[in-house]
Amino acid sequence: MTTFTRRNLGLAAGMATAVALTAGSMIALSANAAPVSGEAAPIFVDYQTSSGEEISLGDFEGKTVVLEWTNHDCPFVVKHYAEPVTNMQSLQSGAMDDDVVWIQVISSAPGKQGYLEAEAAISKNTERSSVPSYTILDPEGSLGRAYAAKTTPHMYVIDGEGDLAYQGAIDSIRSTKVDDIALATNYVTAALPSVAAGETPEVTSSAPYGCSVKYN
Amino acid sequence: MTQIYRAFLLLVAATIAQMSVFAQPVDGGHARVELVTERALAVPGETVWFGLSFEIDENWHIYWVNPGDAGIPPEISWGDGVSLPTDNIQSFQWPEPELLPVVPGQIMDYGYSDQVVLPFAVTLPDDIEGPVLFEGVADYLICEDVCIPESVDIRLMLSIGAQQIPDTYGADLIQASLADVPPPLSGDAALTAQGDTWRLSLAGESVAGLTGDARFFPYGHEITHAADQTVQFGPEGLSLSLVPASAGASLPETLSGIVKIGDAVFDVSATAGAALPGTSGSSGGAGSAVPGTSLPLLMAFALIGGLILNLMPCVLPVLSIKAMGLVSATANGDTAKARAHGLWYTAGVLASFGALAAAVLAVRAATGIAIWGFWLQNPILVTARILVIFLIGLWLLGMFELGTSVQSVGSDLAAKQGSAGAFFTGVLAAVVGAPCTGPFLGAALGAVMSQSAANVILVLLTMGLGMALPFLILSFSPGLQKFIPKPGAWMETLKQVFAFPLFLIAAWLLSVLGALAGYRMAAMVVAGAALIAFGIWAYKSAGQGAKAILLAVIGLALIVPIFGLISATSAWEVAGSLGWCAALAVAVVVIARLNGNLSSQIAKGLAAVAVFAGLIWPLAQARTALSSDAPTEAYAAKYDTEAWSPERVAELTAQGRAVFVDFTAEWCVTCQANKLQTLQTRPVTEAFEAANVAFLVADFTNGDPVIARELQKHNRAGVPMYLWYAPGEQSPEVLPELLSIDLVTGLVEAAS
Repeated sequence: MTTFTRRNLGLAAGMATAVALTAGSMIALSANAAPVSGEAAPIFVDYQTSSGEEISLGDFEGKTVVLEWTNHDCPFVVKHYAEPVTNMQSLQSGAMDDDVVWIQVISSAPGKQGYLEAEAAISKNTERSSVPSYTILDPEGSLGRAYAAKTTPHMYVIDGEGDLAYQGAIDSIRSTKVDDIALATNYVTAALPSVAAGETPEVTSSAPYGCSVKYN
Repeated sequence: MTQIYRAFLLLVAATIAQMSVFAQPVDGGHARVELVTERALAVPGETVWFGLSFEIDENWHIYWVNPGDAGIPPEISWGDGVSLPTDNIQSFQWPEPELLPVVPGQIMDYGYSDQVVLPFAVTLPDDIEGPVLFEGVADYLICEDVCIPESVDIRLMLSIGAQQIPDTYGADLIQASLADVPPPLSGDAALTAQGDTWRLSLAGESVAGLTGDARFFPYGHEITHAADQTVQFGPEGLSLSLVPASAGASLPETLSGIVKIGDAVFDVSATAGAALPGTSGSSGGAGSAVPGTSLPLLMAFALIGGLILNLMPCVLPVLSIKAMGLVSATANGDTAKARAHGLWYTAGVLASFGALAAAVLAVRAATGIAIWGFWLQNPILVTARILVIFLIGLWLLGMFELGTSVQSVGSDLAAKQGSAGAFFTGVLAAVVGAPCTGPFLGAALGAVMSQSAANVILVLLTMGLGMALPFLILSFSPGLQKFIPKPGAWMETLKQVFAFPLFLIAAWLLSVLGALAGYRMAAMVVAGAALIAFGIWAYKSAGQGAKAILLAVIGLALIVPIFGLISATSAWEVAGSLGWCAALAVAVVVIARLNGNLSSQIAKGLAAVAVFAGLIWPLAQARTALSSDAPTEAYAAKYDTEAWSPERVAELTAQGRAVFVDFTAEWCVTCQANKLQTLQTRPVTEAFEAANVAFLVADFTNGDPVIARELQKHNRAGVPMYLWYAPGEQSPEVLPELLSIDLVTGLVEAAS
């Protein structure tokens, strides 16, 4: 008669642990957790930019970082880059003056609307006088998914400690009309001085509006 | 001045009014847009319905009042182009939207495709003098893969007079759309925090008894639009689990939106509070209409399903083996051994479910379709199970002892008191219990079958864990073990009693086999079983009267050529059978001259061969057995039944006939129960006849890829499934797995 041994128990316990671990990791993976304002922003490492550099969130420690999800053909993006008004361009240059790192992110997959190769991304920005610090090329959509970016534009403000200070819409009026820019409250403009002063912005998150990000 | 202006306006207006009768919709680019009204002539002081009508290009869509994650809803800017105060113009009423999963699991929009009319009411002042001009700009975002903001000029002239004259074209469009605007829920709605999710519970006369896919569309952005919403139904209503927009968000005071349940839709405003009673219990069809139900919930279902397996009559006898092991271990005060038993039993169950998962995945990979009951459609597997169950029955009866006979390795291992024994008891329990799918399992499996391989394995393993759980707990909790009865002579009696349910299961499986492969195949399995029983008996008795036994063996062996002669279809087969008879006659002569010891050895050998042949021969026959093409005609006396096909359903529904489809199979117990207790009863047959319901039968006994796909389409893992197409409806209502006379006649009456 086979008796109970420590080895047998070890085997059985091992099996149970394996099942439990698999279950746990599957649950963890299936949860598509969106980042939370006030908590650490998702860290990203070595993303290719249009200038050929690779940048990581860690490169900008101590600085405020703005992430702008964009798709140059999306009517909502066109609205904010439209001339006159040049809303997004003014935000970018204003941020640069305040030593804020402004990063455009293009998460459109190849063949989808808004997809740009490095050179095309640079000339697109030149053409519309856009001056971001960097333009991250994210054709895989991994950065977009990490931040749960849903629309273009979709804005994120990260403070010098790497915490998410604001996420959501660029402003308060959900439309494609340029005339609405003047009437709307710009959440990014509102958040940046608070972050610079080390305070929590009045609005820390809002529902973004725009075109869906053209993921693969 | 105003007089002149008004006169001029009147003139212009009259001209335009004439034109507007023939006005064509304006093409905005990807949609034809038109302003319509229900009145050709309206009276002052009344409220008139208008509508903004969209005819949208294929694959393009516009947005609901809440567009979801991306997009914006249409709007009208009237500016100065309307000759009455704009306060008199109310905002849009929004007909129920559809889900637009842009990136599954990540971006979800709500909107409209094809055609939609957005109605709005206009109150005419008492002192109004007509005609009234409505001129404005309709702005809307229209998207396919890309989005385009379109803008069209809309114009309509409403004539005012002393009497109402309807504009039938506009009135029809607006009425149809208003019918799709969700009415307020009559009942209660509550929002409750539940771990990381929110539970929206709805109860009341609107929702009690409703079933089907359910989905909540919020007016705001409080929840994650793209997340799956799992649904539970209870006697009073239903509950949906919602994922907050951001983790840890606090529960809002109120949550408003609309909720769709099957074909019904209601406007809901839920207030924070305790979950309403009676709104959960059984899982809904498949929860949300979005592919991929949440894994943790599926696993919860799987666990419960596994627990329920323990109560199934086809598992209980095997569990008794396990219980006896525990009884003897605890009687000796050996708690460590009891625990080892529990663990090894769990491991055995898990190993079996893992193997099953692998088999399911292999079949899915090979056929593209996986159906839980598939292994009841394979004559070889059914034959093997009949014989194994028969063997276990013989063992329970005490026909043979374990640990001595070579032929019953599996059962031998199962009966050992040690870890290997516990492991194989687990295997045995799983093998016998797996096909008893309760309704829980059906829902969970139906949802998981279309998921990734890892999820299929995980869910099946969870089910196994659920099945093993009661014994695992029992073996670890000494307190609970006290509830196990003391061992004694009753155990042997009980063991023997359990043999009979097993024989009944074998008989049921035999009927399945008969339906699958014909009565001859069933007869061969019975013959094989007899041979096994004979072999076991001969082996035991080999010591005494060996010669007599050997002669008996030969006598029984005559069955083979006799069967051969009966079923012979060619001269060769007849010759072969006669050759067999001749060989047996020679054997009789040889045996008569043998000495006792040698004949005992030969008798044992032959007995072993008999058992082996009894197992192998039916299996070999099953391999060649062709599935018969004579499925059940059980309904023939009651209905003019027709075989189901998607084309036939389309044809009948196009004729406006009500259609009832019974997805059934010979081996499905629930199907047979529904048939006897509901579908073949007098009230149901009479109701069907009176309402001229077409009764279609989809027979899944032998498996059928078209039926399998239809089952999968409705998120079911197997039969039974009942579809009800009300007269004139193109899309069916999926009925519960357990039918009742009231339910079915109620449906028919509601339709006629």
